Amino acid sequence: MFGKRVLVHMVLFCFLLVSFGPLLYPAQQTVEELQTDTAQSEEESEKIVASPQNIKEETGIFVFVGWMWLSICVLVFFLRLKIREADRLFRLKFFSDEKE
Amino acid sequence: MKSEVQSWLDERFGLLGITRFLTHKKVPLHKHTIWFYTGSAILLFFTIQVITGFMLILYYKPTLELANESVGRIMTEIPLGWIIRSVHSWSASFMIAFVFVHLMSIWITKSYRKPRELTWMSGVILLLISLFFGFTGYLLPWDALSFSATKVGTDIPRAIPVVGAWVTSLLRGGEDVTGDTLTRFYGIHICILPVFLFILLGIHIYLVQKQGMSLPVEAESRGEKVREIPFWPNFVYREMIVWLLLVGILLSLGIFLPPSLDKAADLMAPAPEGIKPEWYFLFLFQTLKIFPAKILFVTGETLAVLLMIFAGALFFFLPFIDNKPLQRKGKIITGAAYILIIYALVMSIWSLL
Repeated sequence: MFGKRVLVHMVLFCFLLVSFGPLLYPAQQTVEELQTDTAQSEEESEKIVASPQNIKEETGIFVFVGWMWLSICVLVFFLRLKIREADRLFRLKFFSDEKE
Repeated sequence: MKSEVQSWLDERFGLLGITRFLTHKKVPLHKHTIWFYTGSAILLFFTIQVITGFMLILYYKPTLELANESVGRIMTEIPLGWIIRSVHSWSASFMIAFVFVHLMSIWITKSYRKPRELTWMSGVILLLISLFFGFTGYLLPWDALSFSATKVGTDIPRAIPVVGAWVTSLLRGGEDVTGDTLTRFYGIHICILPVFLFILLGIHIYLVQKQGMSLPVEAESRGEKVREIPFWPNFVYREMIVWLLLVGILLSLGIFLPPSLDKAADLMAPAPEGIKPEWYFLFLFQTLKIFPAKILFVTGETLAVLLMIFAGALFFFLPFIDNKPLQRKGKIITGAAYILIIYALVMSIWSLL
């Protein structure tokens, strides 16, 4: 029913939704918690260390990094196929002016 | 439907001409082709800088009282703000690193030779702008370290005879590093430098398109025919792989190694120990440190700064100095590039020890 290309796009879109959902949602939900944490940590130490604010955000980030590298691997695999195909067409002078 | 939209756009923008240009543009494939990817990598990091920079502008407040606090807020309160800031910071480092690699690769492969002299010169100015971007951006968090480093950095031009004090005053917006300096640096960072960079980048890219990609100097002198591939889509697909991997590395580093934020700078506090500039200024910083206080009748700092300006001028006019690339002179100049790389690495490591 769907072409291979459409399917790949759909799978990638689903991955995107699943991965970004938990990443963004808890971070916006816990602003008050974050403010409280920040106030406490600022009293304890004046240096602010950048890090995930809670376990949900941390998990979301790990999922995102995993998803990102998986996507990169898949895209690199497809790009290598495209390069092979483009080089083959060029060798065959498929788009050259001579042929036209 | 697609072709209708395409022809509608083509009538207005002349897209067909651009497509024809891209498909007819050829990229030579040889042992130095790998260095061509550094140019597009710089463009990629610059785009990331612009996007993340826009996001940071929304929350950053460039005033003495609020600068440090607003960066702290970005890191702790704004959803994923710490990642955006971290990616902005890492992307700046990557961009400058790739500018260095790009220029050194052009020097070593002698791609600046006739008729690409202006391409090189615009590239050197782009390096200076990138460094100035880094310098001005470093102060913006307004923490103790960046404040002291800027104090030291803006004091260096003072060593230049005649105009030195004026340059320092112009940079600082007064005698000392104050809130005025912060506002000034912010304006330069987000307004003045981007304008210059866009203009020069446009000229640089136009010149690259006009002159085409260079061939190895030996192959060109022997008149050898080098294998070529079309820029679109064959070379662009290859570049996309590089971009994907670089974005992956950048985001991973941005997430797992984010920069922290020190307490707000105190104008009255003594300078903290171990002030160091960003990594790309370390070799210059160490060079200044090794000069003695006085040499004959001039101060060591003045002599060091004048030598640096002289070296910078030589670097800028390199294509005209290295006008016989295949002869002994050309080989000595290539050797000088390797010596400079080793010198910069040794000095940077020494400065960190």
